[in-house]
Amino acid sequence: MTQTPPAVEVRSLHVRFGEVEAVAGVDLAAYAGQATGLLGRNGAGKSTTMRVLAGLVPPTAGTAVVAGHDVRSHALAVKRSTGYCPDVGGLVTRATAWEHLQLSARMRRLVDWEDRARELLERFELGDASHRVTGGFSHGMGRRLSVALAALHEPEVLLLDEPFDGVDPIGVEATLEVIADARARGACVLVSTHLRELAIEACSDVLVLRGGSRVATVSASEMAGEEGARAYRALLD
Amino acid sequence: MPTALSSTEPAWLRPVRDVGHLLRFRSAAVRRRSTYWLGIGTMLTITLGAAIIPAVVPADDDRRLELGVLLPTGMAGILLISIVSAIASGGGRELVSREQAVAFPVSPTTDHLGALVLAPLNISWLIQAWVLLGTTAYVVGPARLVSAHVVMLLWMAVATALAQVVAWSVESVRRRRHGVVAMRVVVVTLCVGALVVQLSGRTISLLDQVPTLWVVLGAVGGFSLSWVFVVVGLLGLLLAAVVVGVVPAQLAARRLPHDELRAETDTHTPRPMPWNDLLALLRIDRASVWRAVPMRRGMAVLAVGPGLVAVLGNLPWEQVMILPGLVVSGGALLFGVNAWCLDGRGQLWRENLPVDAGLVFTARALVLAEFLGVASLVTIALAALRAGVPTPSELTAIVCLLVVVTLQVVGGSMRWSEQRPYPVDLRSARATPAPPVMMVAYSARLALVTTITGLLFSGLARFPDPMLSLFVALVMGGWSTVRLLRAHRRWVDPFVRARVVTTVAA
Repeated sequence: MTQTPPAVEVRSLHVRFGEVEAVAGVDLAAYAGQATGLLGRNGAGKSTTMRVLAGLVPPTAGTAVVAGHDVRSHALAVKRSTGYCPDVGGLVTRATAWEHLQLSARMRRLVDWEDRARELLERFELGDASHRVTGGFSHGMGRRLSVALAALHEPEVLLLDEPFDGVDPIGVEATLEVIADARARGACVLVSTHLRELAIEACSDVLVLRGGSRVATVSASEMAGEEGARAYRALLD
Repeated sequence: MPTALSSTEPAWLRPVRDVGHLLRFRSAAVRRRSTYWLGIGTMLTITLGAAIIPAVVPADDDRRLELGVLLPTGMAGILLISIVSAIASGGGRELVSREQAVAFPVSPTTDHLGALVLAPLNISWLIQAWVLLGTTAYVVGPARLVSAHVVMLLWMAVATALAQVVAWSVESVRRRRHGVVAMRVVVVTLCVGALVVQLSGRTISLLDQVPTLWVVLGAVGGFSLSWVFVVVGLLGLLLAAVVVGVVPAQLAARRLPHDELRAETDTHTPRPMPWNDLLALLRIDRASVWRAVPMRRGMAVLAVGPGLVAVLGNLPWEQVMILPGLVVSGGALLFGVNAWCLDGRGQLWRENLPVDAGLVFTARALVLAEFLGVASLVTIALAALRAGVPTPSELTAIVCLLVVVTLQVVGGSMRWSEQRPYPVDLRSARATPAPPVMMVAYSARLALVTTITGLLFSGLARFPDPMLSLFVALVMGGWSTVRLLRAHRRWVDPFVRARVVTTVAA
């Protein structure tokens, strides 16, 4: 499909939590300048795979290389290269939106980040709430801020886990813009979602996971329309 | 299809049954069954030991009388402790957290009964109860043990139920407009009143008039007509308190907790970029602690309460030495024993920040230490008002003690936070960082260690050479530092960290 090495390469990834095998042999390759969707039912292993790629959860077996760094041996470099929007919450309840952005900027050594932070907050319609503690944010506001936080430092690899969950149409539009911008500047984007239609709109390729394993990799266009919906349904069962 | 309620159970019985269902739900979630039963077995053994063993200890009548005279005050003490605990926890502990409870029709009456059931799972309540049972057993001896304990157990239940009525009433007032200010005025007035009573030398005569004296007279006389009257009276009072408590509980449930809501919608002026990573981490961790309602309320009770006791009791420095350990232990129970739950689900995002895991640990431990240190310093400052200027030995001992107990408690808390993380939302004043049974276990261990350390330094303060305190502090502090460093090393392990982060964010 492309000659450049993948920005994200996962081989035979296994993640085990005690008796539960959350990821059971996922293989994945995602490329710079492209957006790849991870689709699947609850418990398919999408979020755990994203957590591995974000450097949060070390793999039990297999390899995962992100932006040229092995997640097991170079977790800190992986964290520098990625921007991660977690699937649940993802915000420190008693810190303000601006304090989140400031902490991220500090840890990533960003300079002159304030204008971009303000621009992102405005894009996600959070400008008026930037100095409010996030504990009182609605679910949608929290999701939007999480996407803004992931995108602040223009990472090489953007990992968005359920970014559209409970988000209003304006927030969805802003998230799609962030994904398009990231692709345009050559970043690799991975989007995990339940929403097939939004995955098709945002991504060029789609991986379907089931029971912790990859069951298919198809182009987004093959998942479109009623035919695509039927094919997706068949892959889930 | 019929949609009417199919249950025919009486309305008053439903909350009682719901409490049973919720208790079973909570106990089903216990991970280590053997540890759970071991904990319950230990508590029952201690309770039985406290209630029986002193009765068979030989003692002369004068000594029995001396302690018997103190029983009414001890009984009033358990009432006071129950009231303070219930008020500090915003009306009492929850059987099911607010976030989980939204899925179930948990009525305010069920909530009230649940708080009553959980009230004894509190180390200060338990210690007072054990002391009361032990003293009663010692005073009455084996012959009248059963009759006396029936009365004492009933009194403990009455005190807990009365405290719940007071706590719900306070909470229902606090949730009114200007309620927080009104309650602060009441608390300050009570403190000033207590101070005036103490300074005017009327404390003893006031304690002699506590109405619990009649209960004691009924308890110590064995099975008699007056015993029957007391038991029937206490049963009636218990029933009345439980039923009356429903009213303020319902009132409180209908009103919004303004301080908690305000904390969730607060705005904060942005501050300049911190100079380094540690300062940045400290700033966000401090925000998580100092902006939380349960932490602020708990800190006020912990720091000021023992300090006032020291002032009112005119405690000398040797006795003041016991207080910092208890304050530090209590402070750790507000969040320290599950320190990684502070960020909740935000921990997932924080873990993706490119920062050394060891630095994250250091920041969290420092914030916990400063939280505990501030509480202890307030207590010591208040105690110093009446204890006077300390001698060099006393000053060295209290400083060394503060450092040692802080290291002990921070070390233990960070270790437990790694070993047993829990997903807890600490936004509510009623939330606890761990399940009730674990909280008792944690508080017992912390209280034991810090009390022994306090007693040790209390003894060292009597020695004229302050170097002795310094030497002991060096040894004990060194050992606690080693344990803290071990916890630090474990946290740096990505597998340990992943387990903790995914658990607290669940």
